[in-house]
Amino acid sequence: MNVKRFVWTAGLVASVRVIAGGGAAVAQTMVIRGGTILTVTNGTMVNGDILVEDGKIVEIGTNLSVPEGALVIDARGQFVMPGIIDAHSHIAAESINEGSVAVSSMTGIEDVLDPTDINIYRELAGGVTTSNILHGSANPIGGKNAVIKHRWGSDAEGLLFKGALPGIKFALGENPKRSRGGRRGVPRRYPATRMGVIDVIREAFTKARAYRKEWQDYEAQKAHGQADLVPPRRDFELEPLVEIMEGKRLVHAHCYRADEILQLLRVAEEFDFRIATLQHVLEGYKVAKEIAEHGAGASTFSDWWAYKMEAYDAIPYNAALMTEKGVLVSLNSDSAEEARHLNQEAAKTLKWGGLSEEQALALITINPAKQLRIDDRVGSIEVGKDADFAIFDTHPLSVYAVPQKTIVDGKVYFDREEDAERQKALVEERAELLEKLKPATEEKQ
Amino acid sequence: MKTNVLRLCIASALIAATSAAGERPKGPDRYAITGARIVTGSGQVIEQGTLVLEHGLITAVGASVEVPDGVWVIDGSGKVVYPGLVDALSDIALEKSEASGDAPFSRGPLDRPGTTSWAAAADALVLDDDRVEAWRNAGFTSTVSSPSTGIVSGQAAFLNLAGERDEDLVVATPVALRVNFEPNANRSFPGSLMGVLAYIRQVFADASHYRVSQTAYAREPRGKRRPRYDRALAPLAEAQVDGWPVLMPGHWEHEIERAVRLGREIGVRPVVYGLHEGHRAAEFLASENVAVLVSLKWPEADEDRDPEAEEPLRVLRMREQAPKTPAALAKAGVMFGFYSDGLESPKEIFASLRKAIDRGLTHESALHALTLGPATIFGVDDRLGSLEAGKIANVIVADGALFDENTRIETVFVDGAKYEIRKSTDEGGAP
Amino acid sequence: MILTRTLTILVLFSGAAASAQDDVIAITGGKIVTLAGEPIENGTIIIRNGRIAEVGANVAVPAGAEVIDASGLEVYPGMMDAVSRLGLTEISSTAATVDTTELGDYNPQLTAATAVHPSSEHIPVARANGITHAVTAPGGSGGFGVGGPYGIHGQASLINLAGWTVEEMAVKMSVGMVLHWPTIQTSTFDFSTFSRVEKKFSEVKEQYEDRVAELEDWMDAARRYAGESEKETDLKLEALAKVVEGELPMMIMADDARDIKRAVQFAEEQGIKMILLSGRDAWKEKALLAEKNIPVILGPTLRLPRTEDEAYDKPLTAASELQAAGVRVIFASFSSANSRLLPYEVGNAVARGLPWEEGLKGITLYPAELFGVSDELGSIEEGKRANLIITDGDPLEIRTEIKHLLIDGVPTSLDNRHLELYEKYRARQ
Repeated sequence: MNVKRFVWTAGLVASVRVIAGGGAAVAQTMVIRGGTILTVTNGTMVNGDILVEDGKIVEIGTNLSVPEGALVIDARGQFVMPGIIDAHSHIAAESINEGSVAVSSMTGIEDVLDPTDINIYRELAGGVTTSNILHGSANPIGGKNAVIKHRWGSDAEGLLFKGALPGIKFALGENPKRSRGGRRGVPRRYPATRMGVIDVIREAFTKARAYRKEWQDYEAQKAHGQADLVPPRRDFELEPLVEIMEGKRLVHAHCYRADEILQLLRVAEEFDFRIATLQHVLEGYKVAKEIAEHGAGASTFSDWWAYKMEAYDAIPYNAALMTEKGVLVSLNSDSAEEARHLNQEAAKTLKWGGLSEEQALALITINPAKQLRIDDRVGSIEVGKDADFAIFDTHPLSVYAVPQKTIVDGKVYFDREEDAERQKALVEERAELLEKLKPATEEKQ
Repeated sequence: MKTNVLRLCIASALIAATSAAGERPKGPDRYAITGARIVTGSGQVIEQGTLVLEHGLITAVGASVEVPDGVWVIDGSGKVVYPGLVDALSDIALEKSEASGDAPFSRGPLDRPGTTSWAAAADALVLDDDRVEAWRNAGFTSTVSSPSTGIVSGQAAFLNLAGERDEDLVVATPVALRVNFEPNANRSFPGSLMGVLAYIRQVFADASHYRVSQTAYAREPRGKRRPRYDRALAPLAEAQVDGWPVLMPGHWEHEIERAVRLGREIGVRPVVYGLHEGHRAAEFLASENVAVLVSLKWPEADEDRDPEAEEPLRVLRMREQAPKTPAALAKAGVMFGFYSDGLESPKEIFASLRKAIDRGLTHESALHALTLGPATIFGVDDRLGSLEAGKIANVIVADGALFDENTRIETVFVDGAKYEIRKSTDEGGAP
Repeated sequence: MILTRTLTILVLFSGAAASAQDDVIAITGGKIVTLAGEPIENGTIIIRNGRIAEVGANVAVPAGAEVIDASGLEVYPGMMDAVSRLGLTEISSTAATVDTTELGDYNPQLTAATAVHPSSEHIPVARANGITHAVTAPGGSGGFGVGGPYGIHGQASLINLAGWTVEEMAVKMSVGMVLHWPTIQTSTFDFSTFSRVEKKFSEVKEQYEDRVAELEDWMDAARRYAGESEKETDLKLEALAKVVEGELPMMIMADDARDIKRAVQFAEEQGIKMILLSGRDAWKEKALLAEKNIPVILGPTLRLPRTEDEAYDKPLTAASELQAAGVRVIFASFSSANSRLLPYEVGNAVARGLPWEEGLKGITLYPAELFGVSDELGSIEEGKRANLIITDGDPLEIRTEIKHLLIDGVPTSLDNRHLELYEKYRARQ
């Protein structure tokens, strides 16, 4: 689907085009000049330039020549880092939970994407370029995810990160136990204990195994030329689980306590698959060894704690300690507000756990990219990768760092100076619209 | 003398305006309207024309048509004749379903939550609905009436708004399947929009599977496990195979896109209803060749709302631009119909239409969306929707251009039966 | 920068108040940011009996003094969380551990200090990031929000974050009366049906007016009570009378511009001193607040804009906008678990335009002045309590570490639950 731009006002469109350089569909040549480039995977380049063509990084170096017609972004005195990747987000979706059933794997965020959610833009203003939009935590097995790029202004299709491996949400602990029901004649939903949570998962995969066999038998019979065959009924609840077992769908599991983390890892191993990421995983530091051995990534908050019993042992050293023990760790937001300062959350690991600057930056760039299996495309500033950048006025690992521009696929989607103009235009537009809408209301009176 | 004529007029008007369920003396069966401006609705406008209707059908229409012997002649000088109008989606003449406060608790897709796909409007009609007459008096000779509760509500019927018995109204059934994206209120499955959409996907897949397995089983049952009986599935399978329009809701641009994509995925012909932000989706709809139904209930601010609460610009824009949706759709070449969406009277409907015309909709396109447009969408354009010989005689006679504020509808024909509209009738005419 | 356990402290008390009366402590070699003049490079602070005895560039260290070598480090007044829930809540979703908000709309007689749990894990956690004292206030939401329901929730208390009992912790039992101003909310979330409920504006407005009228009645009753010579003791009116008589300020929590205006009008009509809490839309009424001299204890800088079209950084720039208009801006966490993050709330405001020193004063001197304890706290000056932090840099910056912390002149441990769990599991093989 073509990228569509919102037309705020004619004047605004014109000014947006000055920065973004015109046409909606084709990204143009761009050179970011003179910034301190934090590549994340290849060290830091001072006074560096980045050449972008067709939305991809083509060259990184000092004093690059500027092709004719290229859009030049002056980054002198500024810091350029890879666009921030948020591995746990609930923005841009009209539903988050289907909590009526214990297994809601038939549902999916892609069906309910809302490209008009202002939080897409607000997070751009915090340097975020890619987000993993997840189903909520009401179910031991939840719905499918959608990985999006913050291409503000495009339609739902246009937001999708094409080629990203699909994923699904699991949830352990207090949230899936705390189901609705038990009131007004609505029966309480199983499970009510951690025993039941794990049981739901094992039951579901047992069924999925049988379902897979049913289809395999059918395919075999068909291959043998057997006639008059009726295929099995497609079950959209079990299909994603089969995909998980075949390594085609990533499991992102919300979890807190060390014991439930371990239980889940063992269930996965029982059914011959691996958990892609443990989400929140606030007690992950207690079983970091086992997590690393299993090969799961961990995506956690920097320091939320004490809001639930299972979060009482949460510590701000979690990310650093798990990293130390060999786990691939990312920091996420699970919040439209927190997502706007993930760079600050990463900075916290310098103090709480003693990570290096590069390790800290990795938590919000290359690490989540690897966890989502999109690291061939994003997560660091390397030739060949997508031109996704967050430009700050000072080193991002500082409370004082203010995002200046955010670029996705080589297009400027957020510009702090432009935003001020945009604000003015919106105020004018509001006044105009209210004026236009007035006669109708006066008539009614 | 004048008093007697007056009494006679009142008497005949009273007789004519009686509801279809009441007693009506049988009127003439053959009419000719002469010397009128005839807007056929299929592209042709005849300045001084004659239209002949006999035994419920239009038998001739043209500039130089010979008036057959024995027909009741109506002098159409100074009048304008149009095809009868269609309210493209309503629940007129439909039995009110009991408010289901205690909807059954559903444990998952197999419980078929909110699914009454077998429920046909044609089987649940009640003539005793004031709107039948009220709409007819304003020039609406037809409507598409449909059940509307739950997720898969049931089957819509194309009705003519006159008759003596309920069944007389039915022109065609089923003409569409109606779907809503409404989660269960009782917190059972599906409790969210995400769940509703997933359910729709599953139940339509089950319908395909049902068709395949039923066919195979019928061919040879031996050696096969018997297929599950599920009355919800047959109508869905039919909708897939026969290309019924499946009505799916969408107001915002992304909702409209969502409905179309889902419709394609489940193998049906989606017709989106709602369309407040349709002007933004016009290109998309045109390129996807999807027809839509535009709600005439233009979005308005809630009267009893906080005056200091700042509404999003997105909402203000949509509200201000919604009435220009029809013009945008027409310009993009999208086929569409209009529906009343709960507006309480035809007076409001016409006021709404005039807003759309003010915002660029041509009279021609407006008429099309009230006649041939919906007739085509619902597959009855071979017998309705325009003034052509052989089609059903749903005809209206106005004393001026249809969408002008002062125009009155004077006479309405439904299936060839004539209704004179009293001047004093509140709901009469296009006010 | 690995967090190092401080080894130069000679005396470590976790939660103990000053014991020996004649303890003399000297902090030497650091850059002292006194907030009462220019910073003193390579300065010395002498602490005697828990109080700052001397501050200067050339101060002699008495014999026998415990010396804390602050070379290469910086010394600041300990930070003050002007509105927190410290000690009043442990696990916000577990009701048994939450004591922030009582039942009933009018409870002026309640005092936060009576429910403070000195062993709350949140206290050492907050302390470890430089908070030495805090106002703890009733009326919390019990969840992630800033404040709870409508009502007069009780009196806020100023406590040191050290002490075996509340009696030892208390600096001032009652510093203000907490009132959550009513608000008109047409759209609310009903957790029992898990859906959004829309109410008619006219209905909710009526309820709003009723509540304001009720408040006025309570104030009138308190005024009458205060004026009576012979009366039956009424604990509620007795408490509220303190506000009427000017002894306690009314700490009014309001976010909507409409509510803020109305609250200001109320305070003026009642002749009481008002402090605005949270004040999400305070920037809209900055002229009014400046004119009426109403200080604002701002709610989180890190919160989302109020409406879809509001500037994305409005909550971030609000502090500087208010300050530039002449409003006294103070910062608070409105939290227990997140009290430790207070300096970064300020840091974000400074990043978006608030002068650094104003920011720092917003969590040291200004709240002390506001609650009438500036003779004791808020800056490094002779006579004041030695609530101090020694850092390796700007306390508002995230990577700055707190190296030492003193409360009432006693070097206090930076051990806390988080650090303990970290070290325990780090050691796991």
